Formats: sequence, C-alpha cells, structure tokens
Amino acid sequence: MEYIVETRKLTKRFGKEFAVSDLAMKIPKGEIYGFLGPNGAGKTTTIRMLLGLMQPTAGSVRIFGSDLKKDRINILKKVGSLVENPSYYPHLTAAENLEVLRKIYGTEKNRVNEVLEIVRLSDVANKKVKGFSLGMKQRLGIAAALLNRPELLILDEPTNGLDPSGIIEIRNLIKRLPSIYGMTIVISSHLLSEIDQIATTVGIVSKGKMIFQDSIDVMRTFSKQSVVVKVNESEKAWRSLMAKGIQGELHDGKILLVDKTDQEIAAIIRNLVQNGHDIYRVEEDKRSLEDIFLQMTAEEERV
Amino acid sequence: MIGKLIGIELMKIKRKGIWFLTVLGPIGVVALQIVNYSVRKDYLLQQSEDDWLFYLLNTSSITPFAIILGIVILTSFMASIENETNAWKQLVAMPVSKYSIYLSKYTVLLFLLLLSASLLTVFTFIYGLFLDLGEVVPYRELFMYSFYPLFAAFPVLGLQLWVSFVSTNQGIPVSIGVIGVILSYSAYVIPDWLIWKWPSLMNQWDEPLINVWLGLAVGFILYFIGMLDFHRRDVK
Ligand SMILES: Nc1ncnc2c1ncn2[C@@H]1O[C@H](COP(=O)(O)OP(=O)(O)OP(=O)(O)O)[C@@H](O)[C@H]1O
Ligand SMILES: [Mg+2]
Repeated sequence: MEYIVETRKLTKRFGKEFAVSDLAMKIPKGEIYGFLGPNGAGKTTTIRMLLGLMQPTAGSVRIFGSDLKKDRINILKKVGSLVENPSYYPHLTAAENLEVLRKIYGTEKNRVNEVLEIVRLSDVANKKVKGFSLGMKQRLGIAAALLNRPELLILDEPTNGLDPSGIIEIRNLIKRLPSIYGMTIVISSHLLSEIDQIATTVGIVSKGKMIFQDSIDVMRTFSKQSVVVKVNESEKAWRSLMAKGIQGELHDGKILLVDKTDQEIAAIIRNLVQNGHDIYRVEEDKRSLEDIFLQMTAEEERV
Repeated sequence: MIGKLIGIELMKIKRKGIWFLTVLGPIGVVALQIVNYSVRKDYLLQQSEDDWLFYLLNTSSITPFAIILGIVILTSFMASIENETNAWKQLVAMPVSKYSIYLSKYTVLLFLLLLSASLLTVFTFIYGLFLDLGEVVPYRELFMYSFYPLFAAFPVLGLQLWVSFVSTNQGIPVSIGVIGVILSYSAYVIPDWLIWKWPSLMNQWDEPLINVWLGLAVGFILYFIGMLDFHRRDVK
C-alpha cells in the first residue's frame, strides 16, 4: 500500500517525559485522517515532527515515500500546514501576509486572491490582520496552508477556540478541499465529534502512543449494540444465565448483554421469565463513537 | 532563494518603525553635536588646531553607544516580528533551509546598520560643512569614525541576534542588551576583552584597526555559532 505519511517508531522525549513514543502512523493517499487524542496526548508534537519543526528523539518520518530528514525541502514544497494557533504578521494585511509566503513557494501571483476566495476573506484582503476575529485568522491560516496547492494538508486543531458557527464553517471548508485538489488531509482534534463526519481514517493517540488506527468504518463496528435487562433478583438471574453459558455482565442490578442477535435476546428473556423472574425493562444501549473514543483513551489512562 | 528571502524580510519590516529608527539613529548623533556646537562653538574651536578632526572626535564619542543601542533595538524588533504570533513555526515549515532564514534576517539587519552608518557619514559631513571647519575635509577619518565602530560591533550584533532568535523568553535578550548598552557607555573603564568596548575603538595599543579586525572575526564566529544553534533547535 502506498502511504503518503509513514512514521516508524517515532519518539520525542522532553526531559524525562515521552511526549510521543514508538508511533507508527500510516496515512494512505487521498484519505482524510482524523488524528485524535485528549489534551497532551502528543498530537501537536507528532505534527511538528512531520513538518521538521522538531527533531525526533528516535524513529523516522517518510512523506511521499521520501525520508523527511534527507529531503525536507522537497517534501515541504508539497505540504501545507496550520499548527496550533494561526501565525500571522499583525501589522500586515491579509493579502500581504499571504504574499510573503507565496514568494517563498514561487506560485503565481494570483494564487493569493484564489486562496482568499476559497476561505472567503476577499473582502478584507487589504485590512490589517491585527483586527481580525479568531475565526478570520484561522481561515487566513488555512488559506496560507493552501497557497502551494499541497498534496498533503496538515491541520492541527483547526477549529480550536471557534464558536459553533465557526466550527461548521471550517468543517464545510475542509470537506470541500479533497474534491478540489485530491489531496490527503490530516486533521487533529481532541473531539471525535469534530471530525467523525469528515474523516475517513482515524488514528487515536493517548499518552504518546497510537492505540487505534484504521478506517472510521472499522471503528464504527466497535459501536456494538448492547441490551440492558432490568429484573428482580438480578444476581440470581445473572447466575442462571451464566450457568447456561450465556455471557453477560452484571452492572448495578442490571444485566448487560453485548452483541446478541434478536433470537438470542428472545431466548434469554424467555428463559428468565420461565425461571420466574420479573422483567421490569429491556432497553437497547448503543454506544456512540464518542463513547468508544473516550473508553479507549480512558483504558489507556488507567494502565 | 536567499535573495527572495531578503525581499520578504524587507516586506515584513514595513510599518514597524524599523526604517524610522534606522534614520533616527544618525540624526540623533549629529543632533547632539548641533546642540553642542550651537551652545559653545567658539570654545570648542579653541580646543584644537584641527577643527574638523576635533569635531569628528566629538561626534564619535557618542557613536559606539548609539550603535549598540541600535543593534539591541533592531534585533529585538526583528525577532518580535516572528515571536509575536510565533510565526517561526509557519516560516520554518516552508520549503527553505533554516540557515537561509537566519542569513536573510542577518543580511537585512546588516543592510540597515550599514545604511545608518552611511547616513551618519553624510549628516556629519553636512553639519561639518555648515560649521565651516576648514578647507581640508578629512574624508578618511570621516568614514573611519562612522564605519569602524559598526564593524567593531559585529560581535554584539551576532550575539543579540542569536539570543533573541532562540529565546522563548524575550527578557533574556533584552537584559543582555541593556547590560551591553551600559557597558558600551562605560567603555573607558571596562577591560579590552569585553566585546562591548570594541566599538569605542580604544585599546591598549591605540590602534583602532585591531578592534575592527577583531570585530569582524569574532562577529563572524558568533554569527556562525548562532546560525548552527538556530538550526539545531526545535521550533517553539
Ligand atoms: N516544548 C516542550 N517542552 C516540554 N514538554 C513539551 C513541549 N511540547 C510539548 N510538551 C509535552 O508533551 C506532551 C504532548 O504535548 P502536545 O502538545 O503534543 O499534546 P497535544 O496532543 O497536541 O495536546 P492538545 O490537545 O492540548 O493540543 C504534553 O505533556 C506536553 O506537556
Ligand atoms: Mg496540540
């Protein structure tokens, strides 16, 4: 498989603390890769290493099949990025800010207007960025990341600090991008909900380690249905089920049945009734993706 | 690429007051002599046989101090452009080498300082003519007293640039800068080996050129160390 980004045993240590350890990130071409993890998980540190802003303590980064260490400049020609808070020169106008970067890339002059159009900042092109709202600055940052028509776009928490309408706006903008350029996109976030509608692949990192990496569909299969049954004498009921070889969990007076077919559930209920239990409630409990994400990262925390 | 980067740095220093300071420095130095000579011209002209040279010596007494102050302010402005919104990370994530980023900023500072020294030469010359100090203008000394202190100050430039580009806390370069300005003001009493003394062109051998060559050599070394350190470090 051809990976646009591939890291091997990527590690970054600050003093005694490992911010990233043995990270193997694999991003196939054309994907929107949601890079998820709670605060302090090591997302920004990983992204900084992908861009050559930080030297890894150990491990390697390959982008477009080349070693970042050896071929940094050629790789970065085809990468656009926005790391943490947007950077800009407040005393320059939006157009001047982009012009500064455009000159380095050597793209044609009109590209500045094009990207301003894409992020809908054309109206304020000649205003100083000093007075921009956070959402406008964030959009300017994305415009800057698009200047070189990147094949790989890396956005670190692009909706951080935005209000709900700002978040939706950025999300819609990002959704449109792959269709325009056919690029591969990495978006980091600490909220699954922010990217579950746009990401096609997810990588979940916790305490610097990759704990899940696969397509979002695979992650969805983790959102197994479970059925909660509330009965009298729940402990006794649960034992009788166990005795018959039926797997279930006892949770504060309720029996939790995970991943059972309709027939199995029907048989279990019939069994309980025949054994003289009163059934108070039978409820379906579907875990959301967010729950899975939280559970995955929480499990890692406990270890 | 380096030419392009220098062009970009020149774009970035717009509206920052950097050009203004570059011109203000030499004006300030000559303005002090305008005050000096307006108040007591007759007395000053009695002090020496060679009025031009005496005038240049007067002017040059303040020049080292002005140059060090200028270097501290300009480097700190230059660093603040990137530090303000941590634009370093955006700049370094561009397809350019960190060496050329460092070199382009150094070159722009050097250009501004050379411009300042040239303006100082011109302003000093014009006011000297106005004072009517004699037929023979000592062009060599005129040039010497404007440019030598700058060359001798290259180590300070290298040091300030280095520290202000790699410090997360801008208090550090500013403190070093303030101490440097004070030291340069006390050039008479500090030992020869302190780089802040060098722009005064004083040394125990009474040979200004020693300071110039030392300044160029140590300035180059400090520039190089700074560039290597900047390259090696992670971007904040
Ligand atoms: N320059 C640094 N020096 C020391 N420690 C650092 C540095 N940068 C990051 N860390 C530490 O590394 C860990 C990972 O930080 P990182 O910023 O990568 O997390 P993150 O996943 O981006 O979190 P967030 O969601 O808050 O942005 C944290 O514990 C942080 O304190
Ligand atoms: Mg982060």
